[in-house]
Amino acid sequence: MLEFLGEAFALAFAPEVIIFACVGILLGITVGAIPGLSGDMAIAVLLPFVFVLEPASALGLLVGVYKGSMFGGSISAITFGVPGTAGAAATVIDGYQAKLAGKPNKALHTALYSSCIGDTTSDLILIFLALPLALVALKFGPVEFFALYVISLTLVAALTMGQVARGVAAAALGVMLAMIGRDPMTGAQRYTFGMPELSGGIGLIPLLVGIFAISEILVQIARMLQRRRFQQRVTTPAQDAPAYDPSKDKMDWPTFRSTFGATMLGTGMGTFIGALPGAGASLAAFMSYGLAQRLSRKPKEFGKGSLEGVAAAEAGNSATSGATFIPLFAFGIPGSATAALFGAALIMMSITPGPTMMRDNMAIIYALFFILIYANLFNLVASKVLLPVYSRLAMIQPRYVLPIVLGLAILGTFASSNSINAVWMLLAAGVLGVALRWFGVPLGPLVLGFIVGPGLEESLRQALMLGRNDWTHLVKSPLALGIYFGTFALLLLFWLLTRKRNVLTKEEVK
Amino acid sequence: MTLRKLALACAVTATSLTAAGGALAEFPSESPIRLVSPYGAGGAVDIAGRILSSVSGEFLDTRVDVISLSGAGGQEAIEYVRDAEPDGYTMLITDYGPLVTTALREDVGYELDDWIPIVQITEVAPIFFARADSAFTSIEALIEAAQAAPDTISVGHGRHLSVPHLPLILLEQEAEFSTVHLPTTGGAQALAFVLGGQVDVGASVPSTIQGSVDDGTLVALAVATAERVSSMPDVPTLLELGFDVVMPAWYTIFAHRDVPEERRAILEERIMAALESESAQALGQRTGTDVQPLGAEASMTAYQTTIGNLTAILDQLVD
Repeated sequence: MLEFLGEAFALAFAPEVIIFACVGILLGITVGAIPGLSGDMAIAVLLPFVFVLEPASALGLLVGVYKGSMFGGSISAITFGVPGTAGAAATVIDGYQAKLAGKPNKALHTALYSSCIGDTTSDLILIFLALPLALVALKFGPVEFFALYVISLTLVAALTMGQVARGVAAAALGVMLAMIGRDPMTGAQRYTFGMPELSGGIGLIPLLVGIFAISEILVQIARMLQRRRFQQRVTTPAQDAPAYDPSKDKMDWPTFRSTFGATMLGTGMGTFIGALPGAGASLAAFMSYGLAQRLSRKPKEFGKGSLEGVAAAEAGNSATSGATFIPLFAFGIPGSATAALFGAALIMMSITPGPTMMRDNMAIIYALFFILIYANLFNLVASKVLLPVYSRLAMIQPRYVLPIVLGLAILGTFASSNSINAVWMLLAAGVLGVALRWFGVPLGPLVLGFIVGPGLEESLRQALMLGRNDWTHLVKSPLALGIYFGTFALLLLFWLLTRKRNVLTKEEVK
Repeated sequence: MTLRKLALACAVTATSLTAAGGALAEFPSESPIRLVSPYGAGGAVDIAGRILSSVSGEFLDTRVDVISLSGAGGQEAIEYVRDAEPDGYTMLITDYGPLVTTALREDVGYELDDWIPIVQITEVAPIFFARADSAFTSIEALIEAAQAAPDTISVGHGRHLSVPHLPLILLEQEAEFSTVHLPTTGGAQALAFVLGGQVDVGASVPSTIQGSVDDGTLVALAVATAERVSSMPDVPTLLELGFDVVMPAWYTIFAHRDVPEERRAILEERIMAALESESAQALGQRTGTDVQPLGAEASMTAYQTTIGNLTAILDQLVD
């Protein structure tokens, strides 16, 4: 054990790994702060380059990007009222109001501190929970894994806020796309329409990069063309409120203390939701925001620039970042799009996420844990020093950024498999992504469906083989039954919570 | 299409003839050698190729690049090598899965005798294992129980028709018993299911189970190779136990048969020397690859045996 820790320490604190983590954080904050570019997109684009790096350096880079973008998203949320990432949507509510009320600095610092506290706590919980959970996971067979896959897909679909039917449809589409290629039980080709190019299935990288990055780029290009056609000039809103007095807008101890309760609430809620396979950062942020409002001493201030609101939302979304790895590390099931991307990166390093991963790759996994922790510190320092600069970054014109990202996406996808077919799949996935956005279909569930699909199918068919084709075999395991009932209870709880909130807001309107 | 292919073939033959005539003396120093793998980077075949790549400078007078083309289930790699100029600078590195199994089951763009082995880098032993506290601590116990109650004992074995699955099929034919064959995503999952008691017996390769055998949780029942495995000398072969099941996998470098024989001979000699070197052996140790290079002739025998075994098994399955 101790020798592993020493080895992990040496891996994590090698100079090049630290440099890569720093580069990742700067990159992450940058892409997070630019509306339209997200951390997931940056990780997807960087994924193919994981090959050429040493595992620890690659993990440092990806962790940096992830953490940086988590906070970066709140910069544009507070400064311009535009969430830089989906997770920062709840930050906009109070963050932008606080800025308009002449407290941008306090709001940004509150966001930064609560982000870092939420993130670090969640990382620690990951470190202490993943190993025991992985031991439990060793008792899991096909029946139990099938139950886990089912809840993860159910939660993804059901928690797609306000569009359950579309969430279910998107997840189902993802599962279907994953079935193209070879039958996992017999190796026979299926759904390939006789095209040999499809016999190996659709690659994870072309699909992820296509769905997340290419579709976003196409949409943004379309928007730019449209704007030009209508000759609309976009004017940037006034940067500062008229009576802004910087001397009154300094982060101080009483302010920090007043938001600490909300930060803790957000941390707890974010960690819990992040650990559920299928629920993401934006849900966590909104749930923590709602909870903090209900438990706050000054609930009336929420929505009008309450720093507590900023703290709860930011702690909530950042606290998912460690917890989201719990199902990935313990069961090999990615709980979010980001976890799926990290899962893909680990597979490329020939580390298979799952119950045996920790035991077989002790050193590199503990190195990852070290990186997760110290990256928070770097994030804190880098963000604190560079906050003024980054507030302006959100103004970078997308027309300079988009071509670079497009080029990187195509190059990276080609490099990942040395195949032009992968590039065609990438472009096809991009067009599919645009179509889905057009119809308002959420992309997250689709990607999760695609990633979870093979495991879902395989565990179901394995379970049936072991149970001699008796479907009741699926509910004969007490563990699996527990998982099904737990999911049902959770769904009920979420339903009650969200329902109550709606009632509250209606009363407030009256 | 056919015309274009014909023209291409003519052009290729013409250039290769002139190239072979003109610059034979310098071969293989003119350009880097490409080893094309049908698997993704980081896998076992890829690692075997990279071992050669890292010692190539000294023994081959040129660089060896490992290129992975995993598209279309590995067929992209094979087609790439088939379509490359047959000058010996582009070769295939693979196990039998994409090259032989796929060719026997599906329409592919090559014949099996289009490929000539240059060097077999390593032999991989399929191995059967079970939990030490289970009822199946020997192959005989397993067979007896399976004969008493057919199709009740489950064996997790990696993908359908994968390296550990084929010996299981052969053994069942040989010893006349039947079990439930449970395909898994690979050795890691088969191992997890056996450890968790979900599956009675597992089939994988030694490196997957080494740790659990060393700490006493698992027992290795038998290996399906001609000789015992050096990393687990106590484990008997199926042959010793009286079952004629020898079905090892190999990672072998192939050249297309149009590559001139002189060049193939040079490549064989140089690659053998490179893999036998101390540095290659050390790299093999570090990456868990048992580098035991075999020359062209021995590799050809292994290749032909595998084709024969696979054809027999697949014919049986179709019936």
